[in-house]
Amino acid sequence: MVELTYNEKRLLNSLAGKKETDAISLASALNSTEAAVVQWAHLAADKGLVSVDRIVNKTYVPTDEGKVYWDKGLPETQIFNNFDTSIEVSKLQNHPLFKIGFGQLRKKGLVQVKDGIIFKVSGVSTQDDEKAFKSPQLSGTREKELVKRGILEEVESVTYRIAITLQGANLVAQGLDFREEVGTLTREQIISGSWKSIPLHKYQVDKLPRVVYIGKTHPYQQLIDEMRQIFLEMGFTEIHGGIVQSAFWNFDALFQPQDHPAREMQDTFYLKECIPLPNGWDRVRDMHEKGGDTSSSGWGGTWNRDKAEQCVLRTHTTSISIQHLALHKQPPVKAFCLNRVYRRETIDPTHTPEFEQLEGIVMDEGVGFRHLLGFLKEFYGRMGFEGIRFRPGYFPYTEPSVEPEVFVDGLGWVEMGGAGIFREEVTAPFNIKYPVLAWGLGVSRLAMLKLGLKDLRLLYRSDIGWIRESPVHRTGKAGSRGST
Amino acid sequence: MAIITLPFRYLEQLTKTDRTTILDRLPMIGSEVERIQDDHADVEFFPNRPDLFSVEGVARAMRGFLNIETGLPTYHVKPSGITFTIDPKLAKIRPFLGTGVIRNISLDEESILSLMGLQEALHWAVGRGRSKVAIGIHDLDSVKPPFHYIASPRTRSFIPLDFNKSMTMDEILAEHPKGRDYAKIVKDFPLFPLIVDNNDNVLSFPPIINGELTRVTERTKNILLDTTGTDQKAVNVAVNIICTAMIEAGATIESVEINSKEVPTLAPSERTVSVHECSNLLGVTLSAGKISELLKRMRFGAVPEGKDRVRVQVPCYRADIMHDWDIFEDVAIAYGYENFKAEISKTFTIGNPHQVSVLARQVRSILTGLGYLEMMPFTLTNERVMYDMMQRQRSTNALAVMLPISEDHTVVRTCILPLLMEMLQVNKHRELPQKMFSTGDIVQGIKTFQSIAAVSCHAMADFSEAYAGIDAVTSELSLKYTVKESDDPTFIEGRRGDIMIDGTKMGVFGEIHPLVLNAFEIEHPVAAFELDLRGVPGYCVPEDIL
Repeated sequence: MVELTYNEKRLLNSLAGKKETDAISLASALNSTEAAVVQWAHLAADKGLVSVDRIVNKTYVPTDEGKVYWDKGLPETQIFNNFDTSIEVSKLQNHPLFKIGFGQLRKKGLVQVKDGIIFKVSGVSTQDDEKAFKSPQLSGTREKELVKRGILEEVESVTYRIAITLQGANLVAQGLDFREEVGTLTREQIISGSWKSIPLHKYQVDKLPRVVYIGKTHPYQQLIDEMRQIFLEMGFTEIHGGIVQSAFWNFDALFQPQDHPAREMQDTFYLKECIPLPNGWDRVRDMHEKGGDTSSSGWGGTWNRDKAEQCVLRTHTTSISIQHLALHKQPPVKAFCLNRVYRRETIDPTHTPEFEQLEGIVMDEGVGFRHLLGFLKEFYGRMGFEGIRFRPGYFPYTEPSVEPEVFVDGLGWVEMGGAGIFREEVTAPFNIKYPVLAWGLGVSRLAMLKLGLKDLRLLYRSDIGWIRESPVHRTGKAGSRGST
Repeated sequence: MAIITLPFRYLEQLTKTDRTTILDRLPMIGSEVERIQDDHADVEFFPNRPDLFSVEGVARAMRGFLNIETGLPTYHVKPSGITFTIDPKLAKIRPFLGTGVIRNISLDEESILSLMGLQEALHWAVGRGRSKVAIGIHDLDSVKPPFHYIASPRTRSFIPLDFNKSMTMDEILAEHPKGRDYAKIVKDFPLFPLIVDNNDNVLSFPPIINGELTRVTERTKNILLDTTGTDQKAVNVAVNIICTAMIEAGATIESVEINSKEVPTLAPSERTVSVHECSNLLGVTLSAGKISELLKRMRFGAVPEGKDRVRVQVPCYRADIMHDWDIFEDVAIAYGYENFKAEISKTFTIGNPHQVSVLARQVRSILTGLGYLEMMPFTLTNERVMYDMMQRQRSTNALAVMLPISEDHTVVRTCILPLLMEMLQVNKHRELPQKMFSTGDIVQGIKTFQSIAAVSCHAMADFSEAYAGIDAVTSELSLKYTVKESDDPTFIEGRRGDIMIDGTKMGVFGEIHPLVLNAFEIEHPVAAFELDLRGVPGYCVPEDIL
């Protein structure tokens, strides 16, 4: 049995016994609109019950300019009727339509001019043009001319002719159930039990649903939360700190020599502001100059206090880590920080002046390089990277240093950041007695891999379309909505 | 970064093994192979290992790493009988000099290129762009010892390298390409550093340019090295790296007398390191014998002294060994990073999120519950977007960076709303309604705080939507507030309110002013609000630690 909507049934009923009907008269018979009737007819046509013919009609209608002439006639008519048989040009020139009207009269040979006098040619009139204007015939020469003049325009109108098929007629003959279908159930219908006898409208499930956009967190934030969660699960304490740091905490406390290229204005955002040095700064100075009480020789030269007081936008969150260690000298300390850092980079698809860094430290009795590699392997493993390898690296404040790399299908080994054990020159001035395992991992590179992005800028200047289409539950790369 | 070209034929000849073996193991000594061509490879080495900036230096290290030749390389130096004097007036200009005589060299194209490449890389990594150390190489046979390093009047003239006319030193700074590049190092000194021979002929104007007189060519048999700078240690290490590389290439080195001292000696320095300290640092139990064996593969001299000590001789070219742990890193490299058993430590600790993150998570849950989508705009912006386009007065509280990358990124944001207006602008071709929020750091003065802002853009967006939104956010955050009519010109008069907490303005909401909409090219009404999260009960300022 074919499922029909209430309106399809009404349509079939009114078509029964007729040959062919246009949609407009059907609409008035069914007390609806032409558009609605056509829609019902198409639904019924899909089931082979009616046929729908779309007929395109062309007609001419007056343009805005044409409407102005509707009552008084075309410009040439108005000029022609303005005088009897002849008139001086100078007298007629004042008429507002003189230019157009007179031009047309001459073109059509209805007037002649001699010695500044206009004469009507005998036996002529603008009657045919007026007829073409008022009741235009499709493809008439005069009509086409009026279209060219912008007085008439061609419009298309579409009408639909609808007829019942044999199959439809048979269906009507079997009798149709005309109880009205219910869309949304009412409270009254539900509690009274009347729903039992009501025909419920049945929806077609093969039609696509309306798209609803949900409120959600940014795909990159989802990834950041995932990483935070991993470190929390591994027993790390989360730390936070200010964007503005003194060069002392950002560089000097990390034993970065004052003439190191990374400290130059070319690579770091400096600010006009200064921050006074904390107590114990002289121990950092001694470490730079002579290596303090350790086996280190120090960098030599003279350490400049003013340079250390300058402010920068933090170039890494290691400045937060070392301050945390200075306050928490008792082992064990396991801390992480996932936040923005700033480098003086020009913006392009793989560089932005600010980006996220995942910083972690472990300070404990009995931890060594082997455990550093262990934490890195564990983290990347939990992030879904099975292949991880370690290469020697170099960072000014760690020794030994290591560069972890993960294996990515199609890309090979991808460098993921830096790690190492804080040099004794870093920890000794703060009286930290145990090794500090430390890493600073590039989060945005990981995000590009995980979210399938080629352009880092999209993370920060996001296309709302991309966020809407990025599923909360990722399966590899960001896919598109719906079943495919 | 220093990228060194390694020609395979020369590299194989010096390393005494094939290129495949070398390239396979090269990354594990601390390098990155950038590209491999038919006849050479370009390899990046770390700035702490300038001794690897030449083919000769790489070959020396790889012979050890691959167990072809291990232990301390021995270098013999005999006196040349030449002396070099230093003018005391240089003390405040460029006080330090290192030198040496390199004899019996046979310079072919590859060794000249290697030497020039080494010189350039040293200028960059050790010399800090020639300011700390600059190196000159001269044909010894074109000049007459003894030599003098003097502070000279700037009007002194000579023929600089690559020119055919005599120029004063001031002219060289103004006209010679190298003069223009490096003028900033010396231009403020009343006198300029200059090296002359016994006949007062000019060898070099350090750190700018050599004289044409001592140009090194393929016919050069003996070289005089001049290395000047502002740091004695750095000057010495540069000399040691060049001299030992030349010995590896087949030359002999003779010393020069400065202040009755023969330099260079190319002698190793000594350190005695602790076996258990090394084992603890690496997390691997190693014996004194094992450590010695591993260090020899890194070309150290190493002899166990009892169970817990190893006496280490550090080659003179190792600029990076300043602490015992630097030696332990070499132990780790020789041990092989791939051979460590990677394991997390066993100490039990409990994870603990920071309050700022906990609050941010709550804010995200509230706003997404209201149907808003999160954005993560930059914190760097400019005063035009922050204030002018928002119709707000420029704030004296905005933190300006000193050398911005562009005029779009000159200050750190003091609030978030303008960045969201920019996001609406970026997305104006996308389907409406658009509801966006962002939460994160803002900076006022030099202090970092957190804020939340939200915008809703669609045909029906109005004051009531903004009011309902911020009311939902504040009540979910247990925040008691009162509302006062606002005078914020970002919003339409009569359609804006201030959120007051204990008499202080902590937020603002309303319908965005059409002037602001026009400025951001937004064509539909926008309901918006921003809330300073310092108002939230229990808000903790991020540890601004010391």
